[in-house]
Amino acid sequence: MSPCGGIRLSSGESDPRAPASALAWLKDRVGWDALAHLAAKKEVPIHRYTIFYYLGGMALFLFLVQVATGILLLLYYRPSASEAFESVQYIMAEVPFGWLIRSIHSWGANIFVGVVILHMVSVFFLKAYRAPRELTWITGAALLFLALGFGFSGYLLPWNTLAFFATKVGTDVPAQLPGFGPLISRILRGGSDVTGATLSRFYGIHVAILPALTTLLLGVHLVLVQQKGMSVPPSVLRQKPRAMKFVPEFLLRDMVGWLVAVALLAGLAAFQPWELGVKADPFAPAPAGIRPEWYFLSMFQLLKYLPSEIAGVPGELIGVLFFGALAAVLVFVPLLDRKASLGRPSPWWNRFAAVALAGALVLMFLALRLVPGATP
Amino acid sequence: MSRIVLALATLLGAASTGLSAPAPPPTPPPTAARAPAAIGCVDCHLALDDARVSPPARAFADDIHARSGFTCANCHGGDPRTEDMDLAHDPKKGFRGKPSPKDIPALCGKCHADAALMKQFNPSERVDQLAEYLTSGHGKALAHGDEAVATCISCHGAHGILPVKDSRSPVFPTRIAQTCNRCHGDPKLMAAHELPSDVYAKYSKSVHFAALNRKGDLSSPTCNSCHGNHGAAPPQVGSVANVCGTCHAVFAEQFKASPHQPAFADMGLPGCVTCHENHEIVQPSDAFLSTGKEGKCGACHEAGTEGARAAAAMYADILALKKETEAAKIALKREAEAGMLVAAAQFDLSRADEALTRARADVHLFQPYAVQQTVAGGLAIARTARARAARLQRERDFRRKGLLLSLALIGLSIAALIAKIRDLSRNRHS
Repeated sequence: MSPCGGIRLSSGESDPRAPASALAWLKDRVGWDALAHLAAKKEVPIHRYTIFYYLGGMALFLFLVQVATGILLLLYYRPSASEAFESVQYIMAEVPFGWLIRSIHSWGANIFVGVVILHMVSVFFLKAYRAPRELTWITGAALLFLALGFGFSGYLLPWNTLAFFATKVGTDVPAQLPGFGPLISRILRGGSDVTGATLSRFYGIHVAILPALTTLLLGVHLVLVQQKGMSVPPSVLRQKPRAMKFVPEFLLRDMVGWLVAVALLAGLAAFQPWELGVKADPFAPAPAGIRPEWYFLSMFQLLKYLPSEIAGVPGELIGVLFFGALAAVLVFVPLLDRKASLGRPSPWWNRFAAVALAGALVLMFLALRLVPGATP
Repeated sequence: MSRIVLALATLLGAASTGLSAPAPPPTPPPTAARAPAAIGCVDCHLALDDARVSPPARAFADDIHARSGFTCANCHGGDPRTEDMDLAHDPKKGFRGKPSPKDIPALCGKCHADAALMKQFNPSERVDQLAEYLTSGHGKALAHGDEAVATCISCHGAHGILPVKDSRSPVFPTRIAQTCNRCHGDPKLMAAHELPSDVYAKYSKSVHFAALNRKGDLSSPTCNSCHGNHGAAPPQVGSVANVCGTCHAVFAEQFKASPHQPAFADMGLPGCVTCHENHEIVQPSDAFLSTGKEGKCGACHEAGTEGARAAAAMYADILALKKETEAAKIALKREAEAGMLVAAAQFDLSRADEALTRARADVHLFQPYAVQQTVAGGLAIARTARARAARLQRERDFRRKGLLLSLALIGLSIAALIAKIRDLSRNRHS
């Protein structure tokens, strides 16, 4: 209590009875000074790999573009087998600027996944996952899987032939796993086959479950990035690189990249609107040239090359287990690569990643070459 | 030695049955419920290994009659239960050997015209083949003593008879024309009957042949579709439109309602065939209405006459719709290639194609006004589609102009940001 009998105010707190401007009131309520202090303190190292720092911000920006365009699409999209295709057709042909929103959402999704992959590749080779940033990497890897989940679930939503049959193939993959595999496939499909029930589920997953999980994980990821600061690659650490302020210098540079991304998305939407294809007909035979989105092509192609049995074990099961093992290695690489944690070079991990990346690119190229009607 | 004697006896028996009249009653055929008797004939005839008697015995194993429980004796008579060749081939036991052509229709008809018997094997099996055959060109000639005509076995075979639906059967739709051509492509035989021998050569150039043999459309007509199978005969002049109309119903109805129908009847012209040929029926073309080389109307209607003017008007209308539809298709395709959504417009435009098809059918009314009305409907659809393509093009231009404006604004913003970044960098360095 204050000597005069009133409530003692702590420093930084203003008297609620005191007259103040609306802006000052708002700043007080959101804790603006603390945020401004944090932003003023945050610095970004300047060295020859600084450009890779922009990939994280770019991924975040593209995710926000997806959220914004996705919400707009929700206003017109109808998630049922009888109306989904027609509603997307309506969005593309009748809704003012619907073509722009849908094309940006579709192109943006692909560019977003590409940027997230590039972000992870750069973080991997710059060894930014080493201690104390292991959790930042693990949450980032989980966010990559969520991005792939967004892509897989969103691909089916227009309910066109290509997506329908690609989803049939995709949802059949978990069924190869022993034990709970067939159950996972049934849960994903909402039955034994891809139907309108699958569309409803994928819609729910795409607009509710994945966004909720992503928001949570993204929050953790961003807090960890702020807490641990930007990683400096071991190769440039000894040079004691200079730094620039995150606000405004790095943020302004980020914004240049974001504006370029907006220009690219607008150009793609105007010159190459995302195609809609032909409405899915569950009773029609699978057309030639069915294929998943580009980021699943390498897996798709490898599964095609595997023989039906390898040493008495189903080839597809081996393929699924192989991808599962790769995903586990990807998630836990900060714990497996002990040399990096000690600040020492880990060339074998680099070679392993280079071979895996080259293999994925070759398989992707082969998939595009061998699919009728597709051009690499 | 005994094999030679047996073979000679068989051949003698077969030769003598042609002269034997009246034919003894055949061995009663089995019913569907009764098991067949032991097939002694086949055992001996296969054992003989004779080029004249063994192949029929071998072929009979796959014959629909063998599979239905019939034996050699059902057609050839004799006693299949004995191993004694003379007893087996005893005319007293009904043995008649190889039936002569004139006896074959009646022999087959004994079962195939017996509704009660056939019902045991297939309740919906037809039993009018013999009756039809007797009305056919083949049947009439045979009745007049001409044995160089087709009988049942000429088309169906004698011992390896397969069901009609078996694709190996000589009377399966894709093989009928070749089967008929075995006789109707023989110049000497056809000359003797004053018939052309180039029918198959002509038919093989037709749209019907292409549809049946290249597209595999089994509903496409072959010889028996127009001539009948068991009652095969050329359609009469007056019934040609009816024959074609069994498939081309709309054209036939329109032709009947047209001024050509009574005119053709007066002149003795065979309806459809007058313009479309009979066997060499090629893909119809709009140019049939033209005065050019492909034109058909000019054969009867001289230039300047009312008929020629009507043909020219119909031709012009159809060409106009065709041109407008093509132009609309090209315009929509261009927009589709530019990424615009044209599915709905293309679907609507398909109705212009339907109008074109209807207009081509309406030609058979030979009344320009009817064609003109159908064409007008199609033209309206095609023009609407072109207008939609034009709107899409304007929309595309708007998008690109909007993009240019956006890019300009984005470029200005980037320039301003870069200027600010440089300013900040200079301050940091200083």
